[in-house]
Amino acid sequence: MDEFITLAHGSGGRKTSELIGSMFKKYFENDYLTADDAAVLPAPTGKIAMSTDGFIVSPYEFPGGNVGKLSICGTVNDLACMGAKPLYLTCAFVIEEGFPVNKLEEIVAAMAKTAREAGICIVAGDTKVAGKGQVDGLFITTTGVGQIVEGVETSGAFARPGDKIIVTGDVGRHGTTILLARDEYGIEANVTSDCAPLWGTVESMIGVTKDLHVIRDATRGGVGTVLYEIAEESRVGIRLERSAIPVQPAVSGVCGMLGLEPLYLACEGRLVIFAPADKADELVSVLRKGKYSADAAVIGEVTEDMPGRVRVRTAIGSETLLPPPGGELLPRIC
Amino acid sequence: MCVGLPAKVVQMKNGTAIVDATGARREISTELLEDVEPGDYVMVHAGIAIAKITADDQTETQELMQGLMS
Amino acid sequence: MSAEKTAAEIVQAYDGRPIRVMEVCGTHTHAIFEHGIRNMLPDNIQLISGPGCPVCVTETGFIDEAVWLALEKNVTITTFGDLVRIPGTEMSLAGARAKGAKIRIVYSPLDAVNYASEHPETNVVFLSVGFETTVPAACLAVKRAMELGIRNFSLLTANKTMDRAYRVLKGSADAFLYPGHVSAVTGMKIYEELKNEGISGVVCGFTAGEILTALAMIVKKIGSGEPFAENAYTRVVTEEGMPIGRKLIEEIMEPCEAAWRGIGVIEGSGLKLREKYAACDARLVYDMPEIQGRPNPACRCGDVLMGRIKPYECPLFGKVCTTEHPVGACMVSSEGTCSAYYKYNI
Repeated sequence: MDEFITLAHGSGGRKTSELIGSMFKKYFENDYLTADDAAVLPAPTGKIAMSTDGFIVSPYEFPGGNVGKLSICGTVNDLACMGAKPLYLTCAFVIEEGFPVNKLEEIVAAMAKTAREAGICIVAGDTKVAGKGQVDGLFITTTGVGQIVEGVETSGAFARPGDKIIVTGDVGRHGTTILLARDEYGIEANVTSDCAPLWGTVESMIGVTKDLHVIRDATRGGVGTVLYEIAEESRVGIRLERSAIPVQPAVSGVCGMLGLEPLYLACEGRLVIFAPADKADELVSVLRKGKYSADAAVIGEVTEDMPGRVRVRTAIGSETLLPPPGGELLPRIC
Repeated sequence: MCVGLPAKVVQMKNGTAIVDATGARREISTELLEDVEPGDYVMVHAGIAIAKITADDQTETQELMQGLMS
Repeated sequence: MSAEKTAAEIVQAYDGRPIRVMEVCGTHTHAIFEHGIRNMLPDNIQLISGPGCPVCVTETGFIDEAVWLALEKNVTITTFGDLVRIPGTEMSLAGARAKGAKIRIVYSPLDAVNYASEHPETNVVFLSVGFETTVPAACLAVKRAMELGIRNFSLLTANKTMDRAYRVLKGSADAFLYPGHVSAVTGMKIYEELKNEGISGVVCGFTAGEILTALAMIVKKIGSGEPFAENAYTRVVTEEGMPIGRKLIEEIMEPCEAAWRGIGVIEGSGLKLREKYAACDARLVYDMPEIQGRPNPACRCGDVLMGRIKPYECPLFGKVCTTEHPVGACMVSSEGTCSAYYKYNI
């Protein structure tokens, strides 16, 4: 095998077959992955959920994962949020000429491992190689299909006054990890990405109740953005309890140095759940037994008043608004 | 006008210090303060220590309020 | 009962004449919103936000100068994050970046020197904004660059000092919440001088307890009718402040007149590099022509900064001027008064 990816690997010729054989086929192997033009799959019964997402992250590897793991988690979690058990996934790679083959192998291996854990089969794929400088390292797009568990119906529009809001763990870890990995601000902290496949987490909640109103994974814009989305889509108000929001101390420290709000830093393994108040405690106690949700907590509740707004009860008992999501996250220094 | 962060000095070397704020570490300059030692708390702004401080704002508030009420 | 609660009760029980308290520091504006302090105050205490956010008082022309350096002189601009979105006459630095300008956000001016030292082929300019708190770091950067013989580093200065601004603002408020971290550098002497001129205020920290304590002090002192200068941030601010830092500023910079966005020129309220450090003065190094910014004439940032109007009284506020598409600097900076009012929807 070559040391670096070249344009020949994307030409469709011998090098392409070699790459597919030694890499994708080897790691992704399952009954549905064949050399044919399309995967032939048994049709699930009932409703399916389908989602697609593109993954670009710089740097492509970071403490707690790499772009490969991220590309599986992102799509699996999107399906899980709709109450769908992940079934099939396709992936398309755009690789920059000169990309190290051993790094590609690490990424592909992480995808295979994560897919196995999430119980999803990678059934088709595509590889293109772009000239040097045309892409930044490696882009991956994944598309997934899942089967919705009967009786579960979630939507961003289903939050109701009285619902409790649960987050499945501490917030802002992935965003902080990437910020530190880019090493632009000279800050060091022991923070790893929360990147994780969350179907198991959702399944454990469905075990408690199917009456889950909203499940959404907090990705790019963080938990804060999700809360504003839901407040808008469901036309309800949200009241958070500042002291109840789990934040790792090191994440707080980094945010303090740069003047950033942890609620707006990306997560890749956190769900925000809106559920009936009488189920909240049981959900949290089940979540806390889960592998990826040990720090789950009720962080607030849904109100009828102030629709579209997210309020925060502060540590001194006063109330303020969470600043709505802005554009680019810029450190605030002076 | 100036975001400041209290941090603990964990290491000192020729006017620079490594400070720790609840697990976030960074090198900063302590050139503009006298007698900074590991274990001290400093207020950090834009990469320099601007004051030696006590980390505990509760005690400060208590003392000030006692003064005000007496 | 906690001291914090006692402070809150003193403030809430205030039944004297209506008073206006001006927080001059943008970080105070931010903290006051974050802790929900405005909602706790009785009607007869009005908090107004003054001109203490360095980004907000930075003139349009300064952004134009930075854009000129980036696009015409191909320098790498190093800057604090907040300046990136401030509108210039033609474009912001973010706009310039989209046109290929090299804009690098740094945490410290010292990081900008390090970057220059690691990239000797690149000309690096640091956008030196900020008040007394930030100036020592900028001066340290100049000193380090000179000592290490780094020739590709310079400052574009728009630094300001607060003491004369208080005198201009006299009458806009009954008492000031003096900026905690500026005071860490200046010490308490300047506030004694202001007291002698009839200007009152309390040096204030940034936690909820510290802000409430400072307000409680104001409430207690204001009844006497005598001017006062108190320190409610004793764990950080000392009488003498930071003498080594002030000496360094004195060595490297000298006072100059400075234009404050919306307020106008205040004689002696700016700082520029002394002639001895001309090699680090970007305006001289790059032979910059005089660049006059043209701010949007309808923008009333100046009146907002002076506490004359509330942000929502500006005709642009919330309509053409929003945090997504800011017109004035007060909307851009996350510390800006307009931004705070817009985001918290007050």
